[in-house]
Amino acid sequence: MLAIWCVLVIAFFGLAYAMLLRRQVMACDKGSAKMQEVWNGIRSGADAYLKRQLRTIIPLILVFTVVLFFSVYVVPPTAESRLRFEGYSDQSLKLIIGAGRAVAFIMGSVFSLMVGQFGMRMAVQANVRVASASGRSFTEALKIAYRAGTVTGMLTDGLGLLGGTLIFIIFGVASPDTLLGFGFGGTLLALFMRVGGGIYTKAADVGADLVGKVEAGLPEDDERNAAVVADLVGDNVGDCAGMAADIFESYEVTIVSTLILGVVLFTQTHELSWIIFPLLVRGIGVLSSIIGTYLVRGGRQGKNHNALKSINKGFYSSAAISVFSFGLISYFYLNDWRSFFSVVAGILLAIVLDEITKRFTDGRFRPVKDIARSSRTGSATLILKGLSYGFEVTVWQTLVIAITIFLSILIYHGQPVVYVLYGVAMTGIGMLTLTGNNVAMDAFGPIADNANGIGELSHLDKDARKIMDSLDATGNTTKAITKGVAIGSAVIAAVALFGSFITDVSKVQIQMGIEQSAQLIETGIRISVPVVFIGLLIGGTIPFLFSSLTINAVTRAASQIVEEVRRQFRIPGIIERKVKPDYQRAVDICTVSAQRELVPLALISVLSPIIIGSLLGVEALGGFLAGVILSGQLLAVFMADAGGAWDNAKKTIEDGLYGGKGSEAHHAAVVGDTVGDPLKDTAGPALNPMIKVINLVSLLAAPVIMTFRKPGHLSAGLVITGVICLVLVIGAIAYSKRSSETKPVREI
Amino acid sequence: MDAYIYLSATPEALIASMLSPEEFGAYLSMGTKKRNRGQAIFFEVDPQQISGLIDGDYIRKRCTAKPDGRPKSSVYLSVYRVLEAIPVSALRSLYLTTDNGYTLELRQAPYGADREQKERLHLYQELLPVTPLVASGLGPPAFLKKLTDGSIPIVLPKLFFVDLKMGELAANPLRGSAEHLPYSNIGHLRDCLEILKTEDQKQMKTVRRYFSGSLLYRTIGLGFFVGSGDNLVFYPYPNMKELESIHYDFFRSI
Repeated sequence: MLAIWCVLVIAFFGLAYAMLLRRQVMACDKGSAKMQEVWNGIRSGADAYLKRQLRTIIPLILVFTVVLFFSVYVVPPTAESRLRFEGYSDQSLKLIIGAGRAVAFIMGSVFSLMVGQFGMRMAVQANVRVASASGRSFTEALKIAYRAGTVTGMLTDGLGLLGGTLIFIIFGVASPDTLLGFGFGGTLLALFMRVGGGIYTKAADVGADLVGKVEAGLPEDDERNAAVVADLVGDNVGDCAGMAADIFESYEVTIVSTLILGVVLFTQTHELSWIIFPLLVRGIGVLSSIIGTYLVRGGRQGKNHNALKSINKGFYSSAAISVFSFGLISYFYLNDWRSFFSVVAGILLAIVLDEITKRFTDGRFRPVKDIARSSRTGSATLILKGLSYGFEVTVWQTLVIAITIFLSILIYHGQPVVYVLYGVAMTGIGMLTLTGNNVAMDAFGPIADNANGIGELSHLDKDARKIMDSLDATGNTTKAITKGVAIGSAVIAAVALFGSFITDVSKVQIQMGIEQSAQLIETGIRISVPVVFIGLLIGGTIPFLFSSLTINAVTRAASQIVEEVRRQFRIPGIIERKVKPDYQRAVDICTVSAQRELVPLALISVLSPIIIGSLLGVEALGGFLAGVILSGQLLAVFMADAGGAWDNAKKTIEDGLYGGKGSEAHHAAVVGDTVGDPLKDTAGPALNPMIKVINLVSLLAAPVIMTFRKPGHLSAGLVITGVICLVLVIGAIAYSKRSSETKPVREI
Repeated sequence: MDAYIYLSATPEALIASMLSPEEFGAYLSMGTKKRNRGQAIFFEVDPQQISGLIDGDYIRKRCTAKPDGRPKSSVYLSVYRVLEAIPVSALRSLYLTTDNGYTLELRQAPYGADREQKERLHLYQELLPVTPLVASGLGPPAFLKKLTDGSIPIVLPKLFFVDLKMGELAANPLRGSAEHLPYSNIGHLRDCLEILKTEDQKQMKTVRRYFSGSLLYRTIGLGFFVGSGDNLVFYPYPNMKELESIHYDFFRSI
């Protein structure tokens, strides 16, 4: 238990480090009155979004809290819970577990919200300070931007570790019963923040670009563009709040699935290390992230202008410290190297996925050069080339993940399948060891981007803007890198959750007295069974449906922004810079549009597994999950990387290739980038939490379904439930697909 | 007289304005309500040297601030055969404006033959008074002279043109890499250059009959030339490094 308390202390230490960095950042100068005027626009836009998001989310949190509390009255607590709370009456036990699950759900939701909202507020606070610091030195600007990003990173690390550890300290072997609530809370909120953030950011970005850059020929971040502040707010909403919540839920879900599988192994082997080791690994990750992130500096007297080099130095230092420490723990504490190898496989997986992403999306390598070259024959060939490379990179990324899972099979060769699943979960733990660094790198992107925008809008001098341009370019790279890690870790987390689904269903089957040969852990998910295959097929379609609806939402919102910006351009004096545009209108349009789409998309994610489970059974639900994971992973990688490649192809042309800005090649590349934008920043990233929400709902719903649905029999109650859910989902789809016709702006 | 006089090349016009060159460039490239958009290329003209060509009273009467105090943006003085009428000595700086309103000033400089590399072909975009894209084996002074001295049937009173980058094609039209050149129909350009290389009498070859669209500022080679006969005025164009370090706003927008 000492080790567990140490982990808890480390979690608080991580949070304290975040607060220390926050204080350092907040102490920095906020710059001139003009800079603060621009910044206030961004800050009030961000505040409006966050407040409205809370208003949309809180009722849903309350509904799910009640549902989770009463779920124990449908499916009784597990044998492990009875063991942990031995001596308590049945009613008391249900109350404890029900309350624990509900509180864990609230904790997961609140932590996820905190990571997103605090992180975003920190980014907004930092951007004006970075802009101000860039007038003094590169080193100072880099330090503020990266440290502000690290605040979000350490919040993710600290809160994720704190939640899992607290639940384990309180519930011990009964923790799987409550951990699901924790994971579900974090994941559901991440879905909201990812989807809302994705729609907001791309509606603002695409809308601002289409009228500002393409139609009117204004440069990026031009003060006359009414959507420019919405665009800057969107960078925070999407890349900071959305991404941080996304990584937080992956971080959370991997620990949830590892602890669930660890408890299964503990009951079989009576070795507590199956549970303690993942928490220790996470603790080491927090410490190494603290050291690594503190090492990031820009060189003496601000002479080193290679921000990426400094950031990478911090990242690899953290990685080296982590691996060395894992080795020490494995040697002195575990006396077993298998978990160590799984964790190291996870770190290697993160590095390899990062490298593959880079090879296919970085302008220095052939794919992006090829895509840029194809712009000379127009946008059609450019898009085709991007699609081709997008498909190809999906193959390689998926193969690497498959190989990593195979490594778990090798590491636990000869052991029952639950060991292999534990190995996969440990790989996820390894992948997210450096979450502090990863989130810091990601949040650095919107901070640098916003600082550049503030610099542009407040007409900062040339040298300051050169520094901000350089930081902005580095931020684009770090954002792309973390996107690869987020997708990879989401898949590994989903596979680990899939393992938890099989073991959890089997546990309930044991409680129900189903003979061992018929238990899911023995039979597996048999796709040769027609209903399972149907589940697989339907599961495969869900990510497509989700992507279709999110892209549609972006198109709809972007059209409104286009109309609004065009309307404001017609106001006398705006083009001559004599009248200030009404930035708040565009911010309002994005905020309202993004929140309007959340509920239907959440309903689809939450209800679809209940429909399948109720109508087709639990094994079909397993097939459904496999379908969701497979097609979700393929689509997410495809969209993120194809979109990233189009984006960078455009950037290489803007850097001077094929005539630079204004050339035919550039026009073609802008079309490719505009197509790719909602893919890489809205639909693709939203699939990560969606996959896991579906997994966790399946985990929660499967025992209920099994309780009511005896093998070979249909339950009227379940059929009615399934049909009601189906009607709700159809309604949600219809709502999401409503006319894309632009509504008059005054209605908002 | 408080007005500036500008000779615009896009399209050809002589304009009086109360706006400074930077403001005038932004006005030409972006208009006031975004109804006009596009890059602008214009000279500032010395009004003293063309006082016989323009009506000073008309300018004084028309080129005055508006009732709300805003300066008068443009008063068109002439739109036909303008370059022909303006003495080369009256031309001051040349201004290039991007389509999003950033202006670069180019000042006159002596043109030394050392700027030209031997045995290399050139690509010239003529801007005024006619606008073909022409490949030529002649250096800028010889090219200007050839087209303006009356030695060939096609003769122009004056010519304003820009030298464009050709990369490896300048020396090796058939095999040189055209990888980074933005020109459409590279195959046709190679054919034109090859004809110039192989046919001794051929000194110029039209690649495209007229200029449509805008000039890609990243493709400008030596710079701009204007004049007639032996009277050549040269406006050197900075290289990309200079542009980035000195004219950062302009560099970012091209």
